[in-house]
Amino acid sequence: MRLEWMNLKNTLKRDMIRSKTALAVCSGILAVLLPLVLGINYYLMTVLIIMLVFIIYSSAWNFLALSGQGSLGHAAFFGLGGYASAILARSLELPPLATILLGGIFAACIGVLIGLTCVRLREWFLAMVTFGFAVITHTITAELSWLTGGWDGIPAKKLVPVTIPNYIVYEYYILLFIAGAVILTLYLITRSRVGLALEAIRENELEAKVMGINVTRYKLTAFAVSAFLTGIAGALEIHHFGYITPEVYGIDISFWPIIYCISGGLFTLEGPILGTVIITILSEGLKSFGWTYERLILIGVILILVVIFLPKGFVSIPNKLKSRLKSHA
Amino acid sequence: MDVSFLIAILVWGLYAGCIYILLAIGLNLIFGVMKVVNFAHGELLMLGAYTTFWLYILSGFNPYLVLPLAMLLMAMLGLFIERLGFRPIMGTGKLNEIFLSLGLIYLFQNLAAFLWSTSSRSIRSPYSERIVPLGSIKLPMDYLIIIIITTLFLVALQLFLKKTTVGRAMRATSQNREAAALMGINVERMDMLSFALGSVLATAAGSLWVISGQMADPYMGSIPAIKAFAVIIIGGLGSIPGAILAGLTLGIAENMVPSLMKFLAGIIGFNMSFTAWKDTIAFFILIIILVIRPTGIFGEKGE
Repeated sequence: MRLEWMNLKNTLKRDMIRSKTALAVCSGILAVLLPLVLGINYYLMTVLIIMLVFIIYSSAWNFLALSGQGSLGHAAFFGLGGYASAILARSLELPPLATILLGGIFAACIGVLIGLTCVRLREWFLAMVTFGFAVITHTITAELSWLTGGWDGIPAKKLVPVTIPNYIVYEYYILLFIAGAVILTLYLITRSRVGLALEAIRENELEAKVMGINVTRYKLTAFAVSAFLTGIAGALEIHHFGYITPEVYGIDISFWPIIYCISGGLFTLEGPILGTVIITILSEGLKSFGWTYERLILIGVILILVVIFLPKGFVSIPNKLKSRLKSHA
Repeated sequence: MDVSFLIAILVWGLYAGCIYILLAIGLNLIFGVMKVVNFAHGELLMLGAYTTFWLYILSGFNPYLVLPLAMLLMAMLGLFIERLGFRPIMGTGKLNEIFLSLGLIYLFQNLAAFLWSTSSRSIRSPYSERIVPLGSIKLPMDYLIIIIITTLFLVALQLFLKKTTVGRAMRATSQNREAAALMGINVERMDMLSFALGSVLATAAGSLWVISGQMADPYMGSIPAIKAFAVIIIGGLGSIPGAILAGLTLGIAENMVPSLMKFLAGIIGFNMSFTAWKDTIAFFILIIILVIRPTGIFGEKGE
């Protein structure tokens, strides 16, 4: 009897993993085919490109949250990656695809520095320090006008030269490839010892320490990886737009990934992706109706409702429905 | 730098400090009683300022006189936020509290922008032309009124917390929630009360700020609120005297440091302006303090 039960459980589990893989493959294929289906529409392609940038960015933020560190100032890394990449591409005459990596590395270095302070802090002290850090980088960038162009910003090389016909499609595929690689990497990391250690630290830092996990090192690693990916996302965005100004450090740039992660599902791989896609579609859709503030009000309300009634985000909806059906049957 | 200039900066700092103190003490009350951080406190300041603005526009009374009514209205909003927002997620983790506050920030900022547009509003104080000569310096009357009102609020709050039964119950709740509940204190009512009081103090801060010549717009709250957090971390979680001291220090430092830097740069031979750095000073102080003592100056007393 018990054995049968175990078998059943295993089959169920295998089915679930299988269906998840199938879903991942399907959405990947859909993403590849999307430009063919939609045709080459610059507005839609731009929305999709920004969506991919924010999928990378939210996944990076989520990775830091996985270690129990909720940052309120990730725009700092987003902007630092962008500025570093833009400046390097201009002064060293390097192609953007190379400087994006350098921008990420620069953001990671700064991330480790700020992380050294943050690893010892409690949740909301950390939130404050990261928020403050974003304000400070904002001011520093605006003041260093000989390097950064001050408030006016500087131009950045386009990811794909505009002279190439249908350059935006190439940009889309480059971003899709990078986003896929990032998600795969994060998947492998979270399944490895590092991911387990980070989760243990989040659940109970003291117990994790007792178990022999080097808390400081793992938290710093999370900071470095998260800042690196955020820097890459920032660099990708500014090379898409072709310019960068200090507005890239804005408070809302720090808050968007948090909104995406919470609404999608915190601490999961698919949560940030789902959250970014749903909220972006909602936001862009309402924008096309001419709703400017209304859509942000709605997003605020959704965020509040999700935190209170659906703490595991949109990804938990299927399971919730299933268990409700089961309890009725 | 001459002495009267220094004193003028000191008074400026004192006035800015009053705003930070009012905000920080509200945050401290909420944190003390509920152990919850309301990151949306700046939005209460903003809504409070707008409430006073509209009451003033619609009634035409002296803005200082409509302030109590605005405070009463905002106290009700504070009650609602606690009851509908924070109570359901109490005890589900600190990150959730931060996320809920984020939702509130989005909701309130954009609601204000939607209802009243993003253009800045100001209240013309009836005393804006008056200047009180105080020795060699000239002090705007409004600053003096604000410093006096803040002092009155602080004294009243202290009396309430120390002398009244409800105030004692609040302090008991913040010292030990379980024990307070066992002693028959309705701790959930204390939560609502602390939120209402925090909201009232934020309203006072926002309104006084706008009356004294600052502009009100839907995004005015974020920076002062975040500075108020810095203040309560610097002064110690849950400590009211600490918040007063730290608020005054921050207000004065913010006005003093840029002039001091300019002066120092002038000695070396640079002519630079450091006014853009004003808003970052609080965070530099905050980061330096947290690097030295990760639990804040007064440790984990409130935790």
